[in-house]
Amino acid sequence: MKVIELDHLSKYYGKARGIIDVSFTVMEGEIFGFIGPNGAGKSTTIRTLLSLIYPSSGSARIFGQDCIKEGAAIRKEIGYLPSEVFYYDNMKVIDLLKYSASFYKNIDQKRIYELADMMDLDLKRKIEDLSYGNKKKVGIVQGLIHHPRLIILDEPTSGLDPLMQQKFFNLIIEENKNGASVLFSSHILSEVQKLCSRVAIIKEGRIMSIEDIKTLRSNNYKKFKIEMGEAVSNDYFNIEGVANLYADKNSFSFLFKGDINKMIDIIHSKKINNLIVEEPALEEIFMHYYEKEA
Amino acid sequence: MNILYQELKMSAASMLSWTGALVLFVFFFMFMYPPISKDAAIIENILSNFPLELRRALGITTLNLSQLLGFYGFIFVYVLLIGSIYAMKSGMSVLSEEIRSKTVDFLLSKPVSRKTVVSAKILSVLSNLIVQNIIFIITSYLIVSAYQEKSFDTAAFILLDLSLIQVQLFFAAIGFILSVIIKKLKSVLPITLAVVFVFFILQMLSESLNDPKLVYITPFSYFNAADIINNGGYHLSFLIINLLIILVFTGSTYLIYLRKDLPSA
Repeated sequence: MKVIELDHLSKYYGKARGIIDVSFTVMEGEIFGFIGPNGAGKSTTIRTLLSLIYPSSGSARIFGQDCIKEGAAIRKEIGYLPSEVFYYDNMKVIDLLKYSASFYKNIDQKRIYELADMMDLDLKRKIEDLSYGNKKKVGIVQGLIHHPRLIILDEPTSGLDPLMQQKFFNLIIEENKNGASVLFSSHILSEVQKLCSRVAIIKEGRIMSIEDIKTLRSNNYKKFKIEMGEAVSNDYFNIEGVANLYADKNSFSFLFKGDINKMIDIIHSKKINNLIVEEPALEEIFMHYYEKEA
Repeated sequence: MNILYQELKMSAASMLSWTGALVLFVFFFMFMYPPISKDAAIIENILSNFPLELRRALGITTLNLSQLLGFYGFIFVYVLLIGSIYAMKSGMSVLSEEIRSKTVDFLLSKPVSRKTVVSAKILSVLSNLIVQNIIFIITSYLIVSAYQEKSFDTAAFILLDLSLIQVQLFFAAIGFILSVIIKKLKSVLPITLAVVFVFFILQMLSESLNDPKLVYITPFSYFNAADIINNGGYHLSFLIINLLIILVFTGSTYLIYLRKDLPSA
């Protein structure tokens, strides 16, 4: 079943570009990554899904229903964590969470304490006294109280320390195992890489491509780092299949896609001091991708 | 209902302190009534040296300050002024505050329609005004009746007090509509004060100039204290105009807010 369907969605703020012709589909049970640099249009897309803003053209559907017309009904089953969290300063955390829970039917109040405990969140403190990371935790808890069928995360990990990030990821994976689909927006590729099965790449308001994480990884890019034992020209490794070539004196680094034997031959014919061959991080593949498109 | 409850919780303190201000204002200014009524002749003599336009603007040509209700009517104009500032401030804040404090994303990503949100918020302003007016009518009646030597026209007094909420609703409605029209509303109070004072000055002008057309442009004139005390009632045409303005502004507020893009944090 399709959980999210975006069909040629565009949004302009006056004449300013928001997003242009964005289409993608998220299937039930999927953790779908949404990747792009800041200002690319990730939040605009997400805010349209929640009908916080209205599209200029195109359509967005969640659970098969129109996001604008059926917004209130759809949002019963959505948990949303915005990129920047703001709550009523004068409220205590527990009051905010209870207020949040009051919007949903059949809420188990125990769930609030369970989640708060898991995220190490002090329920008695006032919102205004919380650090940014702690506010983020409030955001996580309020977004998950009602066991949403669709979890929408907009840059969720900023402000969380690595330990909390891990707990948070585990929580999301857990929810996903229990049937929740996830739209995970981020500009940090490594976290998307950890969680997602597919990813849409957005740049300057347009979807550049939609990729399977596995295929991306198995696209046979290898990352080479070489320290030469003798002087070679900076172009020495610039053969077909090489990308992102950086040369600094006798140190080289590049991505290579193609017949590995050819590369080995080139390396073999010279004296080298050090050689590292590794799987590139997605970041590097994307960088390569972006540069090619740009 | 949860939004209404939340709104009321957050606004109760402010409502009660403004109500307190109204009551205290009446309480202290009524102290001036006994000396003024005792030396009414002298004071009227002094006042008669003021230019006619000024006396009209202050409402002292039509109100008899030596009578309890007349004096109350004289200070009630300022009750209207304070009450209107509160009403417009509440009306203007209720929808825009969540945008300023950036909590609107939280609220509108919940399973509620914008119509429900606007209704709950408008209802919270209305409830606050009703509670404020009930408290004010009771306490002002207690204060004023403490000064009575012979009985006064209770019906006229109540009608006078009831004009407060009607003027307040006018300003609350202006607050609603301005809060959804103005983009990036940074601060509510300066605009509120400006708008309320402009309408207040217009009322003084209209009284001073005795212009029959000017009375239509300011709600302070719709509910003229002297008129209510001397005629024992409101003008139907003003009641209707006031009601229409409130309905049109409130209705437009719904329409605009329902179609509005909410700015991101």
